[in-house]
Amino acid sequence: MNNNVFILGTLITPFIGAIIALLFAKHNRVQRYIGFLSSLVTCISSAVVLTQVHTIGVQTYRLGNWTPPYGIVLVADTLGALFAFMVTAIMIGGMLYTVHGKDKCMTYPAFVPLFLLMEVGLVGAMLTGDLFTLFIFMELMVLASVSLTALSDDPFGLEAALKYIFISSMGTLFLLMGIAAMYAALGTLNMAHIAEILATGDRPFLAPASALMLLCAFLLKSAVFPFHFWQPDFHTTAPTPVSAMLSSIVVKVGVYGIIRLVTLLFIEEAHLLHRWLVLLGIIGIFFGSLGALRTYNAKRMLAYSTFAQIGFILVGIGWGNPLALVGAIVYAFNHAFIKSSLLMLMGVVASYTKIKTANFADINGIGKKLPAMTGWLVLLGGLSLAGIPPMNGFISKLMLIQGGVDRQDWFNLILMVGAGILTVMYMIRAWQTIFQQQPLETTTSTKTEGDSLIAPFLLITVCLLLGTILAEPLILIVRETVRQLGDPSIYISAVNLFGGA
Amino acid sequence: MINFMFALTIGILFGIGVFQLLRRDLIKAAMGFSILFSAVNLFYLAVGAFSGDFAPYVSNVEAGRQTSDPLVQALILTAIVVSFGSYSLVLGFINIISLRYNTVDSNEINNLKH
Repeated sequence: MNNNVFILGTLITPFIGAIIALLFAKHNRVQRYIGFLSSLVTCISSAVVLTQVHTIGVQTYRLGNWTPPYGIVLVADTLGALFAFMVTAIMIGGMLYTVHGKDKCMTYPAFVPLFLLMEVGLVGAMLTGDLFTLFIFMELMVLASVSLTALSDDPFGLEAALKYIFISSMGTLFLLMGIAAMYAALGTLNMAHIAEILATGDRPFLAPASALMLLCAFLLKSAVFPFHFWQPDFHTTAPTPVSAMLSSIVVKVGVYGIIRLVTLLFIEEAHLLHRWLVLLGIIGIFFGSLGALRTYNAKRMLAYSTFAQIGFILVGIGWGNPLALVGAIVYAFNHAFIKSSLLMLMGVVASYTKIKTANFADINGIGKKLPAMTGWLVLLGGLSLAGIPPMNGFISKLMLIQGGVDRQDWFNLILMVGAGILTVMYMIRAWQTIFQQQPLETTTSTKTEGDSLIAPFLLITVCLLLGTILAEPLILIVRETVRQLGDPSIYISAVNLFGGA
Repeated sequence: MINFMFALTIGILFGIGVFQLLRRDLIKAAMGFSILFSAVNLFYLAVGAFSGDFAPYVSNVEAGRQTSDPLVQALILTAIVVSFGSYSLVLGFINIISLRYNTVDSNEINNLKH
């Protein structure tokens, strides 16, 4: 088995990009192009990894050529490669928005490097095969995103950042405790090795405790019900491209961790965790949707909506049968594209106001003064989020419902579908408020120019393609993913513990 | 005995850390944050450092002596670096917030509450 250089390339390109961008600290424009270019290269590299994983099988890279479990190994199975591809693809959108962005915070020399470091953290967390490295990459991601939010033009950004760093550090603490407990119990940190030992039925005292602590940490990272309260503040106050990334892909790290937890590491305990995941998911769907209906700010509405959509994904994971798992992963993939594009659109709307706000009272009826395309893109995105046929949201919701029918969990299925209607309500409400109504006297005055529409336009195009032409390859890859998840021995044997390269 | 003392210390540190973290004063909360990370680092130390009486040098291993686990020390070093990074970031934020709001009382820093 050869070391796959492209896995390392996916991880190291944004890192090199960040360093080069720091060298050009005085040339802001150059910095932004470097950021865009390196995110493009990263995406190509991760696409290569995904195709290789799909055609050849699970790919690994041994750092320093140490034999696992003694050394750190990067593993790209289909789940990891798919999530990494999703992250890098959406990061291109974020970087494109940054290239044309007019926020003051984007002119700071630290903005682009931090943005790229966030990408390193995200990709690394999804491609690593070692629990402690997972912690390090997650912490890198958290520190980068917190710093980016603290830089924000929004004066409350700093407060939200402080709030989040306290809470997420608690999550990190849980992750560290869980990893330490795992090491105490099993004497290894390599995920494949842990899975191999746990699969023998051996259950040391600390292993289930470790499972719970890891679950708490991942739930906190993806802002699920009891750990959600930081999320709307943090996602609202961040600079537009950053909040688009936070709400679409950063929360997916937690989802990825939970999938790994229930399908690779703790398969025997999974049925206990499943029940909790369904319950928390349903609560999240209702809480998030109702919060989105009640809120006063368009960006905040989308942040609450993320909370609800993560609930859908968790219900899918919680059902746990292959069909529902396919639905959950497709849902996670689609949601990332929709939510990032919608948040960028709201950022564009806010950028046309003089005081740069997305409060409904201030932007009521502002749509008449924006480029005509904005309204249509918001409508398309909203329909997609609600799951109306030509868009990708429909496919993911359909597959999730299929999973529920297969599982015959009628009660939760009805609750889930019913709450889905709330999505239509809040999206249509936001669209009407901004683009259909006449301006009120509270509406703020507008500027003649704002942020470019190109990044959200491209992302919405991908949404449309994912709902039509690209739907079949996506679902094929996800089916393959779920088949691999159902058989952890594929992952374990690919890592080739104690074996030569 | 040493294991019991360690467990007790870790427990007490955890208690102090959680108590401090829940204080209204942000600087005290940040201190609690740092204490909690020390507790976790001690937990890591307890996991593997007492598995032997000798330092994990190659010469000691070759001589057949029972050495301590070198991996936990590497993990603790990494964890210390990471927690230092986030601790300094927290203190930096608190510094700017105290300049902007003229207080570090978390009850008065509530502009996000609507």
